[in-house]
Amino acid sequence: MISTTAKTTSALRARPFLGAASVVALFVALWMALLWSPPDAAMGNVVRILYVHVANAWLAYLAFVVVFIASVAYLWTKRLVFDAIAVASAEIGVLFTGLTLVLGSIWARPTWGVWWSWEPRLITTAVMFAMYVGYLLLRNLSDDLDRRASRAAILGIVLVVDVPIVHLSVTWMNALHQLPSVLRPDLQPTLDPSMLASLIVMTIAFTFLYAYLMTARVGIEQRRQARVLEARA
Amino acid sequence: MTWRRIRIIAAREALAERGQPDGLVSAVTFTATLILVESLAVGPLAATQPAVAAALFWIAMAFAAIIVTSRSFERELEDDALSALLALPGGRDAVYGGKVLALGALLAIVTVVGGGLSLVLLSLDIALPGHLLVVAIAGLVSLPPVMVLFVTIALRLRSRGALVPILVLPVLVPQLVAATNGSAAAASGDAAGAIGWAGLLVAFALVYSVFGLTIVPAALE
Repeated sequence: MISTTAKTTSALRARPFLGAASVVALFVALWMALLWSPPDAAMGNVVRILYVHVANAWLAYLAFVVVFIASVAYLWTKRLVFDAIAVASAEIGVLFTGLTLVLGSIWARPTWGVWWSWEPRLITTAVMFAMYVGYLLLRNLSDDLDRRASRAAILGIVLVVDVPIVHLSVTWMNALHQLPSVLRPDLQPTLDPSMLASLIVMTIAFTFLYAYLMTARVGIEQRRQARVLEARA
Repeated sequence: MTWRRIRIIAAREALAERGQPDGLVSAVTFTATLILVESLAVGPLAATQPAVAAALFWIAMAFAAIIVTSRSFERELEDDALSALLALPGGRDAVYGGKVLALGALLAIVTVVGGGLSLVLLSLDIALPGHLLVVAIAGLVSLPPVMVLFVTIALRLRSRGALVPILVLPVLVPQLVAATNGSAAAASGDAAGAIGWAGLLVAFALVYSVFGLTIVPAALE
């Protein structure tokens, strides 16, 4: 049985707090990234782009893992709320993957001397971006609510394979992109403590932003689903 | 037994293709044309490099697989046969398995024609022909599970002709890289490299077969 009656009241109540938390955390994170943390010995002030770039990449990973979990949950339960969560997270993931590529490119120009390099991390990220654009395209080309949800759920499960490939590509293949500085196998971050703190606060701020955007977008999708079900009835 | 049903559906697919071989003919013609056009576009010097020749061949194979798989499902929809197949006990798993098996057989023919054409036209010297055969078989095995999975997802959608390549080509990147590197390794005499890449291709085939058999039944309506 298909149901859209999810318990979204608590999410709706949390939205203003999540919005406020995002704004405050982003202000603190930007202050730390732009003013408090020192310039890098080699890169100078260009390093400050990385605080936003890494947080963007984290959000893209998070969003696509949420798509995967919501897709499994939809196929398991057939509750449309999970489809709403999946599409909301996929859209946010695509947005932040695109921003990751753009910011990485802006950082690469002064650091590597090129806007783009054919190296594994960049290619796998671009491929991940294309895959999830395809996921959104699939959803837009399907009119039937239930069939669209099933097809999208299957795709959401298959596509998550690329997330670990993107993250581990730099360790599997020698390349221009630097190795992970925080999420390392030995759990020993290689960053200066003030840089690490700035990065962690920025990541937390982006996670709040993700939660805020999710509550807003899931609400919109649930209203759309309700309209379709009403029209069908 | 599911395996028996899979074989029946694969045999049915082969019979349908024998009676009306438009999918196979289109794929073979397309592969040959694409290899010729790509080789002309990159120039004779570049096209005879093992890595370039292998890349051109495997890209052509990926598109050929899209054509054959799409045609196979189009035929089911045109004849309104899919609903009847799905209504059979265990039909959903068997449709996926049978299509994968049949597609593998059809692609073997495309590989022989396309591969032969590449070898002859580009005058390629192959240092390890046996290893190249292993890589070709592994590459051949790695394509159908992915193709059938994605064509099934896009079944009955409008613009599916454009959607399937958009969905499947990014997913096929690791297989294309592995098949290209494996073929180039076999051509240049790197036995360990060729076997390593072939192993990766087989692993991808297994992963996507498990994915397909587990979740494709949910997509088939």
